[in-house]
Order: sequence, then C-alpha cells, then structure tokens
Amino acid sequence: MRKEVKILTGLGGILTFGIILFYILKTNPKVDFSSEVKPILNKHCISCHGGVKKNAGFSVLFESEAKGITQSEKPAIIPFNASQSELIKRLHHSDPEMRMPYQKPALSEEEIKTLTQWIDQGADWGTHWAYLPVEKTPPPTVASVYREKKFLSSPLDHFIAARMEEKELLPNQEAPKNIIARRLAFDITGLPPNPDLYNAFATGRISYENYVDSLFIESSYGEKWASWWLDLARYADTMGFEKDPGRTIWQYRDWVIKAFNRDLPYDQFTIEQLAGDLLPNPSVEQLIATAFHRNTMNNDEGGTDDEEFRVAAVIDRVNTTFDVWQSTTMSCVQCHSHPYDPFRHKEYYQLMAFFNNTRDEDITDDTPNLMNHSAKDRQKIEGILDWVSTHSDTSTHKYFKDFILFKEPKYPSHHFEVIKNGFVSGPTMGLRKGGAAFMKNVKSLGRQKLYLKLVGHTNRSTLVFRKDSLNGKILGTFKISKQGKNFYKDRQGQFITHIDFSREEDPFDLYVELETQDLETKKEHFKLHWFAFLPDLPGKGMPGYADVNKSLVEVLDVKGDLTPIMVENPDHMKRQTHVFNRGNWRVKEEEVQTGVPQILNAWDQQLEKNRLGFAKWLVDQENPLTARTLVNRVWYQIFGKGLVSTVEDMGTMADPPSHPALLDWLSYELMHSMNWSLKTLIKTILMSSTYRQSSYTSREKLAVDPNNIFYSRAPRLRLTAEEIRDQALFVSGLLSDKMYGPGVMPPQPDGIWEHAYLGNLWKTSKGEDKYRRGIYTYLKRTSPYPSLMAFDAGSREVCLVRRSPTNTPLQALVTMNDPVYLEAAMQFAKTHRNKEAKVAISDMYQKATLRVPEEDKLKSLLTLYEEAKKTFEEDPQQLDDFFGLQQIIDINTASLALIANAIMNLDEFLTHA
Amino acid sequence: MHKVKKLLAEERSIEALYNSRRHFIKDCTLGLGGLALGGFLNSCSTGSPKIPAYITDRSLNPMAPLPAPFLPKVKSVIYLHMVGAPSQLELFDYKPELAKLHNQPCPPSLLDSKKFAFIQGVPNMLGPQATFSREGASGNWVSNHLPHFKKIIDEVAFLKAVHTDQFNHGPAQLLMYTGSPRVGRPSIGSWVTYGLGSENNNLPGFVVLTSGGTPDAGKSVWGSGFLPSVYQGVHCRSKGDPVLYLKDPKGVSRDLKKKVLESINDINFKEYQEFGDPEVLTRINQYEMAYRMQTSVPEVMDIDKEPEAIKEMYGVQPGKEAFANNCLLARKMVEQGVRFVQLYDWGWDSHGASPGEALDSGFLRKCKATDRPIAALILDLKQRGLLDETLIVWGGEFGRTPMWENRLGIQNSPGRDHQGDAFTMWMAGGGIKKGAVHGKTDLIGYSGVEGRVSVHDIQATILHLLGFHHEQFTYDFQGRPFRLTDVSGNVINEILA
Repeated sequence: MRKEVKILTGLGGILTFGIILFYILKTNPKVDFSSEVKPILNKHCISCHGGVKKNAGFSVLFESEAKGITQSEKPAIIPFNASQSELIKRLHHSDPEMRMPYQKPALSEEEIKTLTQWIDQGADWGTHWAYLPVEKTPPPTVASVYREKKFLSSPLDHFIAARMEEKELLPNQEAPKNIIARRLAFDITGLPPNPDLYNAFATGRISYENYVDSLFIESSYGEKWASWWLDLARYADTMGFEKDPGRTIWQYRDWVIKAFNRDLPYDQFTIEQLAGDLLPNPSVEQLIATAFHRNTMNNDEGGTDDEEFRVAAVIDRVNTTFDVWQSTTMSCVQCHSHPYDPFRHKEYYQLMAFFNNTRDEDITDDTPNLMNHSAKDRQKIEGILDWVSTHSDTSTHKYFKDFILFKEPKYPSHHFEVIKNGFVSGPTMGLRKGGAAFMKNVKSLGRQKLYLKLVGHTNRSTLVFRKDSLNGKILGTFKISKQGKNFYKDRQGQFITHIDFSREEDPFDLYVELETQDLETKKEHFKLHWFAFLPDLPGKGMPGYADVNKSLVEVLDVKGDLTPIMVENPDHMKRQTHVFNRGNWRVKEEEVQTGVPQILNAWDQQLEKNRLGFAKWLVDQENPLTARTLVNRVWYQIFGKGLVSTVEDMGTMADPPSHPALLDWLSYELMHSMNWSLKTLIKTILMSSTYRQSSYTSREKLAVDPNNIFYSRAPRLRLTAEEIRDQALFVSGLLSDKMYGPGVMPPQPDGIWEHAYLGNLWKTSKGEDKYRRGIYTYLKRTSPYPSLMAFDAGSREVCLVRRSPTNTPLQALVTMNDPVYLEAAMQFAKTHRNKEAKVAISDMYQKATLRVPEEDKLKSLLTLYEEAKKTFEEDPQQLDDFFGLQQIIDINTASLALIANAIMNLDEFLTHA
Repeated sequence: MHKVKKLLAEERSIEALYNSRRHFIKDCTLGLGGLALGGFLNSCSTGSPKIPAYITDRSLNPMAPLPAPFLPKVKSVIYLHMVGAPSQLELFDYKPELAKLHNQPCPPSLLDSKKFAFIQGVPNMLGPQATFSREGASGNWVSNHLPHFKKIIDEVAFLKAVHTDQFNHGPAQLLMYTGSPRVGRPSIGSWVTYGLGSENNNLPGFVVLTSGGTPDAGKSVWGSGFLPSVYQGVHCRSKGDPVLYLKDPKGVSRDLKKKVLESINDINFKEYQEFGDPEVLTRINQYEMAYRMQTSVPEVMDIDKEPEAIKEMYGVQPGKEAFANNCLLARKMVEQGVRFVQLYDWGWDSHGASPGEALDSGFLRKCKATDRPIAALILDLKQRGLLDETLIVWGGEFGRTPMWENRLGIQNSPGRDHQGDAFTMWMAGGGIKKGAVHGKTDLIGYSGVEGRVSVHDIQATILHLLGFHHEQFTYDFQGRPFRLTDVSGNVINEILA
C-alpha cells in the first residue's frame, strides 16, 4: 500500500514536473544561446568575466568556466534554477556594491528575463554559428512574383529573394547592357572592356555568359584580383622599418597573378603559400609561394634586437593567417584568452609553434633567400643534383638542393659574442687586431666543408677556428684576402668561399680568433655574414667528380634576384615555443607543442605536425571558417560589403550574416561542387540576377533599406585606387600591357621619397614602364605612391582585410592635377582632336563611360569647351607648356584636353554603376 | 503614397538648394562658394528645408566638426617632436652628481640585465655637457643651450620622469603616436580629427610639418590605421606643392578651373538625380573643398606676408625647410582652426659616433635651431590670446643614457645611447599648470624615482584636455573596441591647472 502510494506520488511528481516543464516550454520558447544569450554576455559581462579578466573566479567565455566553481566556492550558474543562480541574483541586487554589472547601468528587464529563462531551461551552451560546420543548404522557395520578374536565374537569387520577400522589396530591373558590361569588366579584370569584346556583347553577338567567360580568360583578371590578395599578404617592395630598405619579393606578386590566372584551387593556393617549402621536393614556384609570410616587416634599424623582431614577425604570421583564412582576431589572444571568442591563451602559442620554426631571423639581407638562377645555372644545378642522387641518398640530395637554392641551414653572424676587439653589427661580425669571438652550440654533424660569406679588408691575416675555447683544438683556418664589398654598398657584393673543417659529430662552441701581422689596431680585417657546413660532394674518385665539384663552387657564388622564402629549421636547429606571459616575449612560461584551437575542426592525427599539416587542416572541408571567409571576402569585393558586414571578423562580436543560408550555400558549393575554384565562385555570383540589377536607387528603397542590405538594387561602387589609375591610362591609350617583373616607378612629385640620410631614391621609370598597371607600382611602405594612397590603397605594413573607401578633397586634387592624369587627358584628347568638337566630346564621354551622354550633360561640356577655347584665343600664352607636358599644343587640343580632364573627374567615371 | 510624396518633396528641396547654391557660386567673385554644401544645407536658419536623415554633416564632409564629449580645455594641439630623442641630461634634467662620474667606468650594477641599442661591454659615464641655471619665477632648471627658453619657462609644466618600453626609434615613435609599437593603429592626430573634425573646411584638419627629414617610423606616425584614411595627417611640404597636386596645371587659370569644376559638379548632380546615390552629393562637396583648399593652403603656408617683427621673432628662413618656419606655420594654422599640427624635427639622435650627432656639435646646432622658434611660438600664441586654447607638447621618443656610448667598442665624441627609463617632456598652454614640475629621476638621470608617467599617460592627458575620456574614446575594429591608450593610461593631474 505504502509502496503504491509512493509510486503514485512519484508518478504524480513526474507528471506535475512534466506539466510544469510543458508549461515552461510552451509559454517560453527555448532561448537560443548564440543569438540571444551570448550577445548579452558580451555586452555586459565579459569585459570583467571573460578572457582578459576573470573577476571573482567567474568567466562566461567557456562553458566549463561559466558553470564551474567560482571564488565563492559555488557555481554562479545553476542550470534549471535561475532564482538560486548567483548570476541572476546579482543582476537584481539592491546593494550597488553587489549589483552587476559593477558600477555600470543595470541590464534591461528584457535582458534579465532572457538570461533567467535560459538558466531555467537548463542553461544550454551553444556554439557560435561561424564555428559550426558548413552544411549543405537547399535554396528556399520564394513568392512567384520573383519568378515573374525573371529574378531567379541562379540558386543564389532564391536566397536573396527570400530575404527581400520578408521586407516586401522587389528587385530592380536588369541594368542596361552598357552599364553591366562596364561593371563586369571592372569586377573581373579591373579595367574597362576592350572595344571589340564590348561591341560583340553590346550588339548581341555574344551572350552574357560568353562575355563573362571571355573576361575571365584575360590575363588582366589575375592582375585585378591579385591586388586584393596582396593587401591581405601585406606585399610591398620594402622591409618597412626606419630606412625602409628595398626587398626583392616581386616574384611572389607574379606568382599570385599567375595563380589566379591558372585558377589554382584555393586549397592548393593556401597550402603552397603557407607551406610550399614542406611539400615533397618542392618546385621553385612552390618555394616562391611561401614568400607570402616573408612579407612581414624586417627591422634593420641600428641597435635593434633581431630576436625581438623575429618574434614580431612570427606573431604577425599567426595573426595574419587567422585574419586571412579564419576571420578571427587571433591577435587578441597573444596576451590573454580572447576577450569574447572561445580561444584560449595557450592555444595562441600552440598555433605559434607551427610558425616558430623557420630559419629567418630578422637579418638585414632578409635571409633565407631563394636565388633566381639563370637558365644556364639551372642546367648546371640539375647536373650537380643528378650526380648527388646517383652517388648518395635522398636526404643528401635535399641537403645539396637546399643549400644551392637558398643557402640553408646556416649560422648567421649575429649569434656571435665578442670576447675582445671586435663587434657584432647588423648582419655581420668583424674583428680587429687581437680580436676574438665565439658562438655557442654549433652543430656541424660531422660535415667537413665550412662555407663562409664575408668581405675581406686585408691580405695579412688569418682566421683560426677552435673548439670550445680560445686554446681549444684547431678546427680549421682561413687566410683572409682583400675581396668583396661592404653590405651597405652592395647587397650581394660579398663572396662565398669554403675551407676544410675538422670532423665533429657532437655540438661544440665555435671560437674564432684573428691572427695578423698588421700593426694597425683600429682596422677591421673582415666582416663575416654567415657560415655553414656542407658534406663533401659524394662520389669522390668517380669520373667527372672534378667537373661537378667545380660547377658546385660556381653556382654557390652566383649573384641574382633574391626572393625571401620560408625555410623550416632542420631537426638539429629546432626551436622551442613557449607561452609568453601577457604576450611579453622576454617572459617565457610553459613550453607548448603544435596544436589547433579546440573550438575549430579537430586535428587529424595523420597530418604532419608542421606548417604543411596546419595548411591542410585549414583547407579541410570540416574547417568552418575558411570557405565562409573566402566567400564573404569575394562577396565584399563585388558588392562593396560582406554577407557578414564585419569582413575582418566572424567571431561572436561580428554582425550576424545578412543572408546566413546563402553564405553557407556558397561556402558548401565552393568546397564541393566548385572544388575551391575562385573563378567559378566569382562567376556564380556574376551570373546571378542579383548582380545584374540596375543600381538605380529610388527614394523608397533608400528609406526602407538605406544600406542595401537586402540587395534589391546593385551597388554603385567607387573604383579602387589601382582601377582609377589604370582606367585613365586605358581610355587614353597609354596603358602598357606588360606583365610581371620588378616594381616600376611612374612619375610622382619630387621630394616624396626623401629620407633623412639616404636622399631621394625614386628613379622615374622610362618608356612603357611609366604606364604599367597600378599593381606593378613600386610600393615603399613608409612612403607609398601618393596618388594610390589618396584613393585608400594600403601601405601594406600589416594585413589589410578591407580598404574603407573615402571621399576626400585630396582625391579631387589627384585626378584634376596629377601629371599622370594630365598626360592621360592630353593623350585622350589627341586621339579625338580631328573631329568636330561636339562629336569629339561625345565620343570621349562614351569611350570613358560606355554611356551616350544625355543632351544636357553634353551641353555642359560643350560650354566648357567653348569657354576654354575663348580663354586660349584671348590669351594664347596660356598654351606655353600647357599641362606642363613640354609639348606644343593647339587651342582645340588644349580645350579638348580640359574636357578630357573633366570627364576623368566625373562621378560616373570614378564609380561603376 | 504619402511617403512617396514626402520623398519627392525632399528631392525637390535638395534640388532647389543646389540651384540656389549654384547661383551663389556663380555670383561669388572670390572663387567658389564660401560655404560647403553640407554647411549650407544645415546652417540655413530661415525656411530650413528638411534634410533626409541619411544625409548628415559627416556623410557630406567627414571632417565636419563635432562637439567634444566633455568640456574641452583646448581646441587644438601643436605637438613638437624632436626626432631621434633629445638628451634630457643636456637640456632640463640637471644632474651635478653625474659630472663627478665623468669618464669613469660605469658601475656594473647599472648594466645588470639592461639592454642597449649600441653600448657594448662596460662604457664610461658621461657628465652633463651643459651648464644649468634656475630661471623664471618658477626657478625651474634649464641648460645654457636654451637661452630663449628662459622667457617661457614659467608657461611650461615639466614631466621629468617619462618612460617607455621601446628603445629603438621606429617602434618608440609608433608607441608615442599610435599607442602601439607595431604598425597598424591610428595616430593621435587621426584620433583627434576623427573625434572632433575640423573647424576649417578649407584646410586639412590634421597637418604634419617636417624639418630635416621624416621620422624613422615613416608616415605611420601620422597614419590613420584602421580609421578611414581621410583622418590621416596631411604632410604640408616646404618645397614643391605644400599639399600634393595642389597646384593647377600650367595653362589652367583659376577662372578656367572654376569653370571646369562647375561643369564636373553640374554633371555629377545630374548623375545624382539619375541614380539617387547620396555619395554623389558628397563628391560634389569634396570637389568644392578641393577648389577652396587650392587657395587657402598656399595662403596659410606663405610666411612671406608676415610682419618682419614676427619673422624676426621666430628666426624664419624663407624658402627653406626649417623648424622655425614650421613653428610660425603652426601658429598660423591653429589660428585658422586646424585641429592638430604635428611638427617633426629630425636630427636629435646624439650618439656621438659622428660630429653631426655629437653632443658638442650637431646637438648644439639642433638646440640653436629650435630654441628661438619654440619660445617665439609660445609668446606669439600668448599675445594673440591663443595660448589658452592651444596645447603645446614637446618631447622625443625616449631619452638618453648617462653613459658615454661606445659603439663597436670604441668611445667617440661625447654622445649618449638610447634610454627608455627616464626622459623629459613638457607641455604648455590651455589647462596646463604653469611652472609645474612633475616627476624626478635618480642622481644620474637613469631612472624615474618619483612621478613616473608612461607614454599612454601622455596620450590620456592630451585627449583629456581636448575633452575626451581616453577609455571611452574607442573605435570598433575586428570585433573589439580599440583606443589610443590601448589598455592603460592615466591623466596626469599633477600638471593640470
């Protein structure tokens, strides 16, 4: 009986509980953590209870911390029991010392209610949308009106239409052919269309899709899209700090252009740039790709600590990698856990461990550098490497190949410590009479050839290398000869030579002493840049050995263009990675191994535990951020804003996506059906009706959707810095189509590049190099090309995810007065000067904008023409050196040039509608 | 329907305004209109037409002035930076004890766990290469290298124990101006013009003037970082066009240029009517501003027209790139409402490795070239009643060691290495306690022992005087709010009036 009662009561309890639960669930729909709770926590709580501060031992950053025991020895959140949860109690507290947020306005009733319900419903933690895997997403069905309006030409349009439908918006009509043709040409090639192609499309001889495809096969496509990527890669032609010396890294820029043009799939594109050097037997091109992360700044200011700036470069690589591929502000995690997003302090250093094992050490010559060998030398090298393969194993082959191509692994001189009468300065170590220095923990691994790179200032001295002390065993001697040039006079003027070296299997401290007959005490006898050990060439005694050995010595000392690349430390030089206390590299904490953040896709144990494995992890289809980031950024390039408007960041502080399903659809298709093809992704967007709309902005739409979040019209975007320049040169017929090579120096005002002690180094290019596309303009970080800067191009010191377009008076001054634009205007006028004025003006206008000028616009320009003509007739002296072009110009041409100048300043010229 | 009508009415009112403005422009004999489109639209007191909400002052003109969040003490800032880091020990921080140690080996305790840029091994100490006297009613110390400074010493508040954790020029300059030793953050002038805009539409709001060369960190020290690039400093040059591309091309008179501009703006307005994009209105406004800048910038940059007495007072060198000229220009600019004037004078890196950078040679030339103009600047601002609404800041990126630098192990001419632990800066002008001294260094000027202030404290104080709370003045980027002072900084109340 009692038992039954118990059971009944029990049942009753369950029933009651069930009813209550039912009631709760029914009346209070489940609160969503990510979209409802997390924003409140981020806004009000996390700055004191998060990744930076963890006051009272309570943090809402991670679930385990939020529900864990706090300093009060109780958890602050008790699931299913809001009224007993300290978190909720504190929100209501009457004592201002106790009420949270401390000394800040209280939460709104609505916010408190949300938190209360969330806890009562069990305080389920959620994952932010961007960290969930990308799922296959079917396009939604939409109202028939969109079909009737012929808007649904692509699945993409379904997603757009669905959101428009919610807002009761209808799409604009398709843009006229001339408008869309110019828009497409700029979006694909960064230039106006070539006239033949345009005419074929305008007259209907080729279809929209044919027109798009034709633009994609132009090599100008690679040039246009490379500009975007080079902002992310922080590509520049100089090192960045202080004197900001030059750096030859243009082969990387050319690699990017070529990669886009051959549509290298984005996963491979990623792997080669992050870890091309770690691919099996990498090609020269794959090594050049790794220059992506050698675009970090290099500080050669006198007196700087190379290790400090090497660390800065490594940190920049971690941050840039996450900025570029993951829309994640990893830089926040250097000093503490992320303030808002679920990334732990330690995870930063686990990521850093992937990048912390490269040979570069902030040395002034940017070493390691890949030598761009001549075809003849390449043949020689092949011969040597074939020989090595024949007579040895693959690891010896790799050793010789690496040393010939990029001279690694080597010991740079900045690791020397001076004992007496010497110095370590910049990239070199030098000794005076009686001088000595040493380097700790050198490993020759039994190799018996010591290679040296140095400049010698005497013929009367000898360097003696000893083991472990100044009295130690002699390991080798080197007779210095007067040879080579100082580094600051000639970057590659030093010479490379080698001596025999004692066979040492174990690590030793290398002592160097100068022996000399010279009496002069202040003179430096040599400057040593680095030394390295190489095994003897295998196959000694075999026929042909002497010839191969001779070729080896020759190819090792050739000069040529150098490209800084990534090279991994060999095992015997491996670095350890430590957590830095509050980001301070001098205060090292626990050692860490490579690892990826827990919140992202899991690490596949099959992967190499190095940059290569990391790169593969990044482009794994399970990675939730790589595809979404790329889609969002490409979308931004085309529409001027992202589907997630904070294009830098997809973390929990980011704006929610305007079209989440579309973002996922595109991301999924990119990885699966498009196989990471960037051209396919771009084309998919350009083929949509969404893209093809007119940009006409009605007052109604401006009122309902001022920022065009719902894409019921096409955007009207100002052209980029490069496009504005290239277009002016293109329409005037001046633009050169020469591709690749070192950065060029088109005219810029005098005195821009004046360095305090280096003088003006800008040497204006000659011939067609003056008229190359903007992407080839030499970019000096501390003094970038001013007319490009005026239009928001970056100085490329750090990764730039988006250029924020501005509208300033300084831009007007560029396009009105910069001699580059004046020359273009004059050239433009000259090609039309044999026509009647009205026709000439109309033709110029059409050529520039692809639009037939309306009568009143034409009239305005014609009036200007007449007024200019009148002015010049009255005062012909005005035409002396007109526009400063040192040409004799007639009145008609001068007047037309002024019109051309005006046309090149029209809003419709500077934007694409 | 009702809504459409309203929108149409707005459309017409803008058009009417535009037409009346064109009329105004055409009748104006002094070049184009004296009022920007934005200003005109918004300053109409009578019969003010409704301005659509999406057209704001700032959308038409990103430099439109905004009120400071708190009551400001000053309207503008003139920041005098001695690039290379001037020696506090030869200018303001008098250390008689150091003289006693002159040319003696440095005690090892001073070298323990210290890192230097160039000093190697054990250097000698270097006594003060100057004599000092107490001057003015305040009786504050100043060296014999600054005879003119005596006249203004009572206007100035000294910070004797400023410190920085950067001892290389580039990173230290970046820290001083952007709050971070690495590139990528906005400079203080950009923050200020972003926050306050500019009172003068015809001049840039943030002007940079250099003498001797550009700072080591390059243009980043006046860059806008992640703020829109419109807020970056405009480098006004002494040679060539003061602002790049300012000059009209040869053969294009002002009159003809005006016609070109009218035609451009005329067609652009038609474009606006056709496409309805408000950005076109902004462009029209910017073109008008550009036209006006073409006259106003050369005017303000022209020091020839100043009275002889003023030129004499500053010691200007017309036609040359000189710090004295820049001081005079700075005065002219703040007088005309420029918000932030940044001067960089290059050549203060007194290592002693060559005569040009020795304390007994190059350094003395730098003192001489800057002493008179700085005194003149303060006196001139004062006589015009501008000193109370202007903040003057003087300093370098760090200080210099009490040791004699021994680069490459060799002791050359008297010179000092970089030191971040203690150096002197001063401020003068509105809101500053005249004659105050805050902070004290040890017996040899090596470290601060009292009143140490950081670079972020300096920045917090400048922002405070302009009416900002440095912790609240933030800009969202990459999902988090950034501020100039990063995560630290305290207002230095001890030097505030």
